[in-house]
Amino acid sequence: MELNQYMGMFLEESREHLQTLNSCLLTLENDPRNLSVLDEIFRSAHTIKGMSATMGFTSIAELTHEMENVLDLLRKEQLAASPAIIDTLFRCLDTLEQAVESVAANTEATVDIKPLVAKLTKLAGDKGQEEALPARKDKKAKAAAKAAEPAATAQAAAGTIALNDTDVKVIKEAARQGYAAYEVQVKLRDGCLLKSARAYMIMNALDELGDVIKSVPSAEDLEKENFDYSFTVVALSDAEPEKIEQALLSISEVEAVTVLPLTSPEVVPPAAAAQAAAAVEEAGQPLAAESAAPVADALAAADKRLRGGQSVRVDIDKLDTLLNLVGELVINKTRLEQIGLSHHLIDLTETIEQMDRVTTDLQAVVMKVRMVPVGQVFNRFPRMVRDLSRDLNKEVNLIIQGEETELDRTVIDEIGDPLVHLLRNAIDHGVESPAERTAKGKNPVGEIRLIARHEGNNVIIMVTDDGAGVNPEIVKAKALEKGLLTQAEADKMDTADAVRLLFLPGFSTAQVVTDVSGRGVGMDAVKTKIESLGGMVDVETKVNGGATFKIRLPLTLAIIQALLVKVCEEIYAVPLGSIDSTINITPGDIKTIQNQEVILLRGQIIPIVRLGDFLGVPQAAQESQEELYVVIVHMGEQKAGVIVDTLIGQQEIVIKSLGKLLASIKVLAGATILGDGKVALILDVGSLMH
Amino acid sequence: MAESTTYADMDTQLVVFKLGREDYGVGILQVQEIKRIMDITRVPNSPDYIKGVINLRGSVLPVLDLKKRLALPPADYTDDTRIIIVKVEEITVGLIVDGVSEVTTLSSANIEPPNTVASGVSGQYLSGVGKQDDKLLILLNLATIVGVGADSVKAV
Repeated sequence: MELNQYMGMFLEESREHLQTLNSCLLTLENDPRNLSVLDEIFRSAHTIKGMSATMGFTSIAELTHEMENVLDLLRKEQLAASPAIIDTLFRCLDTLEQAVESVAANTEATVDIKPLVAKLTKLAGDKGQEEALPARKDKKAKAAAKAAEPAATAQAAAGTIALNDTDVKVIKEAARQGYAAYEVQVKLRDGCLLKSARAYMIMNALDELGDVIKSVPSAEDLEKENFDYSFTVVALSDAEPEKIEQALLSISEVEAVTVLPLTSPEVVPPAAAAQAAAAVEEAGQPLAAESAAPVADALAAADKRLRGGQSVRVDIDKLDTLLNLVGELVINKTRLEQIGLSHHLIDLTETIEQMDRVTTDLQAVVMKVRMVPVGQVFNRFPRMVRDLSRDLNKEVNLIIQGEETELDRTVIDEIGDPLVHLLRNAIDHGVESPAERTAKGKNPVGEIRLIARHEGNNVIIMVTDDGAGVNPEIVKAKALEKGLLTQAEADKMDTADAVRLLFLPGFSTAQVVTDVSGRGVGMDAVKTKIESLGGMVDVETKVNGGATFKIRLPLTLAIIQALLVKVCEEIYAVPLGSIDSTINITPGDIKTIQNQEVILLRGQIIPIVRLGDFLGVPQAAQESQEELYVVIVHMGEQKAGVIVDTLIGQQEIVIKSLGKLLASIKVLAGATILGDGKVALILDVGSLMH
Repeated sequence: MAESTTYADMDTQLVVFKLGREDYGVGILQVQEIKRIMDITRVPNSPDYIKGVINLRGSVLPVLDLKKRLALPPADYTDDTRIIIVKVEEITVGLIVDGVSEVTTLSSANIEPPNTVASGVSGQYLSGVGKQDDKLLILLNLATIVGVGADSVKAV
C-alpha cells in the first residue's frame, strides 16, 4: 500500500502535534481566556484529524472531530474552559496518544474512544443545544476566517472561487504584511489513485510556502476524495507565483497547476457564498475584530516556518549507521598506525597523523549530529507535574531551564524514567501541602526547578524543590531500623553521607506507601540507572530548605576511553570512567576474610576478583607470579580490585552491542573491535561487585 | 519465517552443508554469506553452543557451534570449515559447519515432515527431511536453533 510511505511522517507529526496540544492545554488551563492558544490547539487537533482520516485511522479522526466541536465552543466563548472540560480534553490526548502508539506498534487499534466521545458530545451538547443553529453557522464563518476549515460553500471548482467577507478581510490583512493572495487551480492526472494523499501533499507544500485560507471543495471533501481530479485553493504567500507552481508540479501525479494572483480582494461573493456571508452577519461584530489577530499569528508562524527550513529530518537509524562507519574508520586508522609503527614507515605515519585529525573532527561532528535537546524529555513533565500535584492536593509550579542543552540520543532515551522518579519524589516528599507551607511562612505554591546545563564534558541535570528537605537524622534512624547500617557507622557519619543513605537499596522514608513513591525501590533505581549511563547522582539538602538532586552525565556513550587488560589469551576492556587506579601487589598482600580475598589499600579493605576465574577463562594461569596487576574499579561507593595478567594500555573504543542473543549475559557491557580486527569484550564493572 | 518452515507448493533452494558425514540444508533466503573460519572471541557465561563472537565488517555477531547445538560429536576445524551467516527474525548469527557443498533445488514433493524420520537430531531443530537422488538432506529449523523461537537463550 502506498500509504505506508506516509506512515513514518504521520506518526512523527501526530506525536509532535500531541505534544503541542499537551503544552498548549496546560497554558490554557492557567490562562483560560487565552484565545491564541486555543487557536493553536484547534489547528493541531485539526491537523491530526486530517492526517488520521487520510491514513484511515477513523477512531483517531472521530475523537479529534469531537474534540474540535468542544474546542470550537470554547473558542467562541460559548463555553468556559472549566477544569472539567480541560480534564476531559487531557484525557482525550492520553487516548489519542495510546491510539497513535498502537498504530506505531502495528497492533490493530483497539483504543476505546466511546466514553470520551460521549463525554465530549455531552459537553458540546450542554451548551450547544439551545444555540445549535447559530452555533453551527457561526462555526462555518469562523472556520473560514481561520483557514482551518474552509466554509462549506462547496461549489463546483470552476471559474473564480467564491470569497466571503471574512476571506476578503484576511487577504487584506495579509497584503499589509507583504503576503499576496493567489488562486491556485490544481489538476491531478486522470486515474490518480490516492487523490486525498496528493491533495494533502499539495496542501502541505502550500502551507510551507505560506498559508491556505480556503479550498473548493472544502478540506473535508478533499480528505474524503469527494472531488474529481481538480480543485481550487486560495493561498497566501510571499513566494513568486512561478515558485508556487513549480513546487506543486514537483509533486507526482499533478498534471497542471495555474496560479492566478488575486489582486483585487474585493471580489464580490457570488450567490453560493451567500450562506456563509449570512453566517458572518449572524456571528456579529466580535468576529470581525477577532479575525485579524489569528491571521497575524498564522502569518508569523508561516514566516518562521519559511526561515526555519534549514534543517533536515533524518531517520535515527541512518545516524547510527553513520556513527558505525565512523567507528570503523577509527578502527582502521588504529590498524594503519600499528602497521606504520611496526614497519617504521615515516611517510605513512605522517599521513596517518593528518588522517587522525580529520577522523577526530569527523567523529566530533557525528557525535554532535546525534545530540538532541533534553527538551524532548522535559516537555512531558509539565503535564505530569500538574496531574500529580493535583492528585496530592498540592500546588506546584514547575520551572524548566536549559531545555536546549544537548545530550546523546542514547542518553536521552534512558534519562526519562529517573527524572520522573526524582520529580515524583519532589512533589510527594519534598513540597509540603499548602497549609503546611503557609504555617512555615513559605509561599503556599511550591516550586520545583528542572535545570539542565553543560559543565565541561558533562551535562548536569538538577531537580530542585523548595520543600521540606531531607532530615539526615530521620534518614539515619530509618536506615538503622532497616538494618542498612550499624549504630557505630551511623554515629561517625556526617550529614551529607547520611542523606546519601537515600540511595541504598531497600530504603524509603515515606510513612505511607503511596501510588506515587515510597516503595523503597525509588532512589536506588535512579542511582543504578544513572550509573549504567556512566553518570553520577548526588543530593544536597537542608531541613525545610528543599533538596537538590544533581545528575551528572557524560555527553556521549558510543565512544569511550577504556583500559585494555589481558587474561591468558583473552583481552577485555574496562571503561576508564570506573577505574580508580592500577596497582602492583605481591601474592602475599592478599588476605582473606571469610574466604573472600581482600587487599588493604590506603587503610581501605577492598575485595578482589581474579578475572580469569570470574570469567572462566580456559587454563587461567595459576603459576605463582611474583607480581600481580590489580585494577581498582568502583561503582558508586563500592570498590573492587580486579586481578589481571597484563595491562595492555588505554585506548579509545567504539562500543558495539552484543545483540539480542547475548544481551542477557550480565558480566558484559558490550563489545568493541580492536586495531587488529579482533573482538574484545567490555566488562560490566557493576557485575564484579557481587 | 515462511521460507524456513513451509516448503509447500514450491521449489525450495537450499544451501547444503556437511556436519560429520550427514548433509544438512537451510533455505537460501536466510543465508547472507559464507565465510572461512576466523578469529572467534569466547564469550564468558554464555550457553555452551555459543562459540563466541566475530567481527563481520564492523558488526559483532554471535557464532553458534552447530554440532554442539545438535549434540553431534565435535571435530577439529579443517580447511573446509566454514561459518554460514544466517539471518533469523532480525537476528544475524554465524553457524560453524564442517563444509559447504552446494546449492540445490528441492521440490516440495521430495520433502518429508520431520516427524516421519528418526534422526540423531532432536526433533525441534528440524523442519523436514529432503530426498535428492539417493541422498538425504536434513532441513534445519533455524528459529529454534538460534533460540528465537520456543526456547530462547538463557545465560548460565
